[in-house]
Amino acid sequence: MESHFNRLLASRNFIVNMVGERAQEKPFIARQTMEKSLFKFIWRYSAPQQMVILFITVLSYPVSYILLELPKQITNDAIQGSDFPREFLGFEFDQIAYLVLLCIAFLGLVVVSNGLKLVLNIYKGRLGERMLRRLRFELFQRVLRFRLPHFKKVSSGEIIPMITSEVEDVGGFIGEAIALPAYQGGMLVVQIGFIFMQNPLLGIAAVSSYPLQAYIIPKLQRRVVLLSRERVKNIRAVADKVGESITGIPEIHANDASAWHSADLSDRLYTNYQIRFQIFNWKYFIKFLNNFLNQLTPFFFYLIGGYLVIEGELSIGALLAVIAAYKDLAGPWKELLAYYQMVADVDVKYQTVVENFDPPDIYPVSRITSDEIEPLNGDIVFKDVSFSGGAAGQELFDVSLKVSEGAAWAVVGQDGSGRSELLQLAAGLLGPNSGRVEIGEQNLDKLPESVLGREIAYVGASVHVWTGTVRDNLYYGLRHRPIRSPERVGEAKSEYAKRLMEARETANPEYDLEAVWEDLEAAGVADQEELDGRALNVIQLIGLSNDVYRMGLQSRLDPKRDADLAERILAVRHALADRVAQDSQVHGLVELWNVDRFNHSATLVENILFAAPADPTRSFDDLAGDRQVVEFLEETNLKPQLVSIGLRIAETMVELFSNVSGDSGLLGNYSFITLDELPEFERIVRAGRSENEKLGLKDADRERLIGLAFKLIPARHRLGVLSKDMEEKIVKARHVFRERIEKNGKGFVTFDPNRYVPPMTIEGNLLFGRPRVDRRDARERIDRLIRSLVEEMDLRLPITRAGLDFHVGVSGSRLSAGQRRRVALARALLKNASYFVLDETLTGLSDEDREARKIIREQLRGRTLLFGTSNMAVAEEFPHSVVLTQGRIVEAREEELAAAN
Amino acid sequence: MTLETEVEALRRVPLFRGIDETKLRLLAFISQRARYADGEHLCNQGEEGDCAFIILDGEADVRVNTPEGEKVVAKVGQYAIVGEIAILCDVPRTATLVANGDMEVLTVSKDDFLNLLKEFPEVSLEVMRTLAQRLERTTQDLAALKAGNSAA
Repeated sequence: MESHFNRLLASRNFIVNMVGERAQEKPFIARQTMEKSLFKFIWRYSAPQQMVILFITVLSYPVSYILLELPKQITNDAIQGSDFPREFLGFEFDQIAYLVLLCIAFLGLVVVSNGLKLVLNIYKGRLGERMLRRLRFELFQRVLRFRLPHFKKVSSGEIIPMITSEVEDVGGFIGEAIALPAYQGGMLVVQIGFIFMQNPLLGIAAVSSYPLQAYIIPKLQRRVVLLSRERVKNIRAVADKVGESITGIPEIHANDASAWHSADLSDRLYTNYQIRFQIFNWKYFIKFLNNFLNQLTPFFFYLIGGYLVIEGELSIGALLAVIAAYKDLAGPWKELLAYYQMVADVDVKYQTVVENFDPPDIYPVSRITSDEIEPLNGDIVFKDVSFSGGAAGQELFDVSLKVSEGAAWAVVGQDGSGRSELLQLAAGLLGPNSGRVEIGEQNLDKLPESVLGREIAYVGASVHVWTGTVRDNLYYGLRHRPIRSPERVGEAKSEYAKRLMEARETANPEYDLEAVWEDLEAAGVADQEELDGRALNVIQLIGLSNDVYRMGLQSRLDPKRDADLAERILAVRHALADRVAQDSQVHGLVELWNVDRFNHSATLVENILFAAPADPTRSFDDLAGDRQVVEFLEETNLKPQLVSIGLRIAETMVELFSNVSGDSGLLGNYSFITLDELPEFERIVRAGRSENEKLGLKDADRERLIGLAFKLIPARHRLGVLSKDMEEKIVKARHVFRERIEKNGKGFVTFDPNRYVPPMTIEGNLLFGRPRVDRRDARERIDRLIRSLVEEMDLRLPITRAGLDFHVGVSGSRLSAGQRRRVALARALLKNASYFVLDETLTGLSDEDREARKIIREQLRGRTLLFGTSNMAVAEEFPHSVVLTQGRIVEAREEELAAAN
Repeated sequence: MTLETEVEALRRVPLFRGIDETKLRLLAFISQRARYADGEHLCNQGEEGDCAFIILDGEADVRVNTPEGEKVVAKVGQYAIVGEIAILCDVPRTATLVANGDMEVLTVSKDDFLNLLKEFPEVSLEVMRTLAQRLERTTQDLAALKAGNSAA
């Protein structure tokens, strides 16, 4: 039912897309390059909105004009006027009523005028933000469309600031782009017209400085623009260098190269300073020149106007009116100049960004957006393919090759032989400079990713693991398009509709991020459950399941989400407890949690609280300051004793380690106290010994001492600070804390042998105790016991499944290189593609790798496989192989050939 | 048994006889306390040695592989230090140690012991003196043995 629906959806998408594509074909070609100028970009995507802004702006003019006139009328007419009552709209008003009328009109206009401003500002802001979103998305989409070799020329350190910060100013400007010059320009023309009507000569005087300004200012501004470009590029280089330093930080430290990098960056910062300082110089010089020229005009006014008045050709009243009009002229003119400078600045920012996103060989947008789904079948054929990646060792010359459908080929070549390039060409990731790469007569370079990325599975020589869980990474190859949106009702539905509307407004995609993206149909499974099963199967096959099982043991399970598993873990816990009780060998290896017994192999805090903080990342010191804990310690009167235990520990540590140098490693490995904390604890120890009340321990010191005591594991540290009485007292106190938690304790979960404890790892929940620290190899032996019980009770698979939720860290940093590679391989296998291209994956000569290769080939029987390796011995396992040297095929071995030999 | 009692025990180990008490306390603190049940192996012949054992209580059999099978060649008891050769020079374990009855042992890891020597040169001096005395005794034994042989 569901899959039918999906197919329907897919086919509908397909039709829509075909129709859409045909209709849009022309604009696509026209839109291949980005708008080079900011104004063209603005006009193309926001012309109607700009007209609206202009309309509202013009509309607001009469309102603000009347708003300025009305007070005059109120004072002159209503307050000082006569001839009352006045008639207005057929009603008669006496003086007071008239005053009230005008004042209410004034109030109304204030509301209207400010309301218009508010509407206008919001409208402008929204337009700016939408245009910014459109621009940023367009830039990112272009990054997705870059061909792979282009990434050798650009660095993320440069691209990131372009998309994030550099275009930011553009958004703020867009709302003003058309309305401001139109409005202020209009005002200027009106005022100049007025002056010209009074006297053409004065009119000429009023605009006399304009030609000069219009000539000089752009020339000067041009310099600022050039400098701005330089500044942008300089700061980009700075960003790039900082980024590179962070990536290469171990190298910097290992080679004592901090000085060199410091000098390099400092030099760039100096250049930055120079550029910025020059910009300031020019900017203020332009300002100076403007002001000077503007104030030069009155000079002509008074000279020419005065002359005309004296000669009697102009009335004094007219001159004063002209001077007043000229004052009004200054406002718009200033605004226009400021606008001009802003345009110059924003435009240069726009251009310096956009020019980086227009490589001539960029893929058409349909390559990544097309929803066309079409099964590929047939042979992989290279026809006279040449390729150059821009450097020696990344080239192929005139390669012709035919890989029949369903065959397994080894592609052999040293690094730099063109092997990786050949494989990437076969996966459609690279396009040939000349010749064609085809699968079933389809030119790969022209196929959209919706076909390439689903029909071909590729694992490159360097793999990327995404930040997220193991599961996210395994299913990554199935997340092509949203498959099924969640049911939305009420607010969520209208919120989603708004989201879609905004996406349409800004030419963003309408993909639903919250939808189910896993393409179960492509994976060949019916539901998520089955997909998990398949994933577990695949990781088992490629030898990753032990690792994921271990991740599962270390992960934390939410028993609400999987009550069944929690229940079964408890069953193992009980079986283990039985074993410990019966088997004297095991008995001595572990101390299980027992509410009536002190656990010498666990920390003091666990013993006291007999509970774990709900947030497992909380530190000991943090717990010592927890309100619940403090109140409990005071209630049970444990606090002073813990402080004295902490003090004795601190004394011992200070005594033992104060003569040890920090770099010997002894301090780090054994002390409770780090080197940095040592002086602080020396002070606390002195304070603790002090008889003087004032010099004694402060509350904060006590808290630190309790935190120290919390860390104590009695059997390991053997400090003898814990008496039998104290142990008994602690065991008794546990019940008090338990009651306290039962009453109002969200922050803690008590240890209960019959309940799952969420903040503990799965392993912790299985064992529900601690391997004894005073027995050698206890941990290893207990691990083995847990493992065998888990196997016995069929829990291995569910725990491995829990391991799928293990967070792999930033870019898989918590996985080893081998694990990352296997995750990538599992991802490719789960994709269930028809063509497999693997490069330098499991190519070792160890038995383990050999076995993995065999399994992979069995799995992929009937599918086409290209297997890249630098090792001839590996290639011999394959029926066909091709050998590359310096970008040329030097030898191709087919089955028949091998048989003849 | 706490740190204090361990220090008492360490004081009786000939190797540490001249070393002052705070350093012995540090040594005791950084070593691991372990219990062995009857028949459990402390270490096996031929393994890489990464720690020395100081017997606090109980005794262990020293077994060596011979062509006729494993043989008990000696017993070590309370306050003996065994396996120290392995932590001073990189040689595999020369014998297998098996607990004979329940044992309490202090194990000192190689890295920590070397760190301690580096940190406190006077400890090295003391260790050197003890080893030299042992060598001297071995040489005398050997000479006596040779003399006995030639006399025979």
